[in-house]
Amino acid sequence: MALGSPVLAWFRGRLAAPAVRVRDARRLGRVWGLVAEHAAARGGRVSAADACAAVVPGVRVTGAWLSAARDGQAGHLMQVTDEVSRQLAELQLTLGEGPLFDASASGGLALASDLAGLETGSRWPAFAPAACRAGAAAVFAFPLAVGAIRAGVLGLYRDRPGPLSDSQLGDALVFADTATMLLLDAQDGAGAGTGPGEGPGGQPAGLASYRAEIDQATGMLTEQLGVSITDAFVRLRAYAYVNDLQLAEVARDIVARRLRLFPDPDLSPDGGT
Amino acid sequence: MNGHLLSETFVELTDTMVADFDVIDFLHVLTSRSVELLDVSAAGLLLADPRGELRVVAASSEAARLLELFQLQSDQGPCLDCFRSGQPVATADLGADERWPRFAAAAGQAGFRAVQALPMRLRDQVIGALNLFRATAGAFDAEAVHVGQALADVATISLLHDRSMRRSDTLNEQLQAALNSRVVIEQAKGKLAERLGIDVSQAFTILRTQARNHNQRLSDLARAFVDGTQAVTGPAGMPRTSRPGTKQPLPVPPRPAP
Repeated sequence: MALGSPVLAWFRGRLAAPAVRVRDARRLGRVWGLVAEHAAARGGRVSAADACAAVVPGVRVTGAWLSAARDGQAGHLMQVTDEVSRQLAELQLTLGEGPLFDASASGGLALASDLAGLETGSRWPAFAPAACRAGAAAVFAFPLAVGAIRAGVLGLYRDRPGPLSDSQLGDALVFADTATMLLLDAQDGAGAGTGPGEGPGGQPAGLASYRAEIDQATGMLTEQLGVSITDAFVRLRAYAYVNDLQLAEVARDIVARRLRLFPDPDLSPDGGT
Repeated sequence: MNGHLLSETFVELTDTMVADFDVIDFLHVLTSRSVELLDVSAAGLLLADPRGELRVVAASSEAARLLELFQLQSDQGPCLDCFRSGQPVATADLGADERWPRFAAAAGQAGFRAVQALPMRLRDQVIGALNLFRATAGAFDAEAVHVGQALADVATISLLHDRSMRRSDTLNEQLQAALNSRVVIEQAKGKLAERLGIDVSQAFTILRTQARNHNQRLSDLARAFVDGTQAVTGPAGMPRTSRPGTKQPLPVPPRPAP
C-alpha cells in the first residue's frame, strides 16, 4: 500500500503512546494502513471518521457509523458511511434502545449477528424489527472505551445475517481502539495528537502487551491532576509522547511513585525517570 | 486433597452465581480457592483477548510482581503453550526446563519452581487458561490436576452465566466485558492508591471489601468510583496523602511478596 510519508510518520509517532492494545504488529499495521489510506485519499489529517470509513471494507461489513461522547455525555453522530447506517444510528436515539446503548452502558460489545432471531428480538423488541426494515440483518456495536474512559461507540451493520469471524472481530476491535485513540487525541489540543511530524526516534514499536500499570497510572493521575479519567489518560499519553518515552515506562514510574505529574499543562519532565 | 474444602468451595462458587453475578469477583474467589485446594503458592486466570493476546483477569493475589509474571506469559510460558494447544502444560522444575527462558528467569526470581497451566475450553474453542505456580519443585499431583481442571471448567461456564449459551455472540461479549471490567478495576485501584497513599494491591482489597459489604458488583463500584459518583472509604485511620498539586514526594510502599 502506498502511504504518504507524513501519514506514516504520524502513525509512527503514536506507537510510543498507544491506546491500542495489541501484540500482533501485522494486524495493527494492516488496520492503521487502511485508516491512513482513507485519510490520504481524501487529503485530510487522520481522524476517527477515517477509522469508521475504513472498517467497512476492513472487516467486510455493509456500513458503519461512529458517535462520539465525552465523559458520559450523550454522543453526537460523527460519521455514517451510508443511509442505512444513518437510519440505524437515529433509530436508537428515537427508540432509546439498541446495541449502541448497550455497548456504551456496559462498556462491552453488543453483537447481534441475526436481528431477525428470537433472542435479538427479545433483547431489543423495538429496535430489532425497525433495523430489519431499514435494511440491516446484523448489527455489531463496539464501545470506544478504555475501562471507565468512554470516547464513543462504533457501530457496524451487515445486510445479511451472520457473525463476524474471529479474525474480523479482532480486526474490528483494533479499528475501534484506533478510533478511540483518535477521538481522545482530538479532544485535547495539548494531547498527543497535535500535529504530524517525526515520531520519537529509535523507539521500538511500543506494541507492548497489555500493562495493568497503564490503567493504574491513569487512575492515579485523576487524583494528582484533579481531572477526569479521560483527561488523565490524554495527559499520560501526551507526557510519554512529548518526552519520547514509552507509555509503559511512564506508567511504571508513576505507579512506583518515582514520577508525579502536576495540574499545569507542563509536559516537561518533572521527576526522575 | 481435602474433600470437605472442595465441596465448600463449589457451594461458595455456585452461591455467587446468582442475580447480579460479578464475574471478576467470582474469578478472584476461584483463584484464591485454587491456592488452598490445590496446595499451590499462586493461581492466575488469563483470558484471550480477540485482538490477539492473553490477559490476566484474576489472580489469587494482586501483588504487582505476580500479576506481571502471569501477564508475561502473553509472550512465552506454559500458559501461552496451553492456550495454543488446548492441552494442560506443566513443568516440574522451571530451573531444568529450557522451553521458556524469559519466563523461567522471571518466575525463578519471584520464587516459583513448578508451574501448571490448564485450558479453559468451550466446545472446540480455547478461551484462556488457569495458571498455577508452586514454590517447590516436583510434579503436580494427578488428583489436584483433575480438580484444577474442574475449576478451570467452572471459570469457563461462569463467563457465560449472564446470558444464554446458545448465542454465538455471547461469549465474545462476555469476554470483552470481563476484560474491560478488569481495566476499570485497575483504574480504580490507581485512583484509590493515590488518594490514600497505599499500594495498588491494598487498594484492591479495600475496593473488594466495600463492594462485598454493600452487595455491589466490584466492577460497578470501580466504575462509579472512577467516574466520581461514588466514594470509597479506606479503613479508619488511613492516612490521607497530599492533595493534587502539592510537591511532597510520596513514600514508596514496600512491595508485598507474591
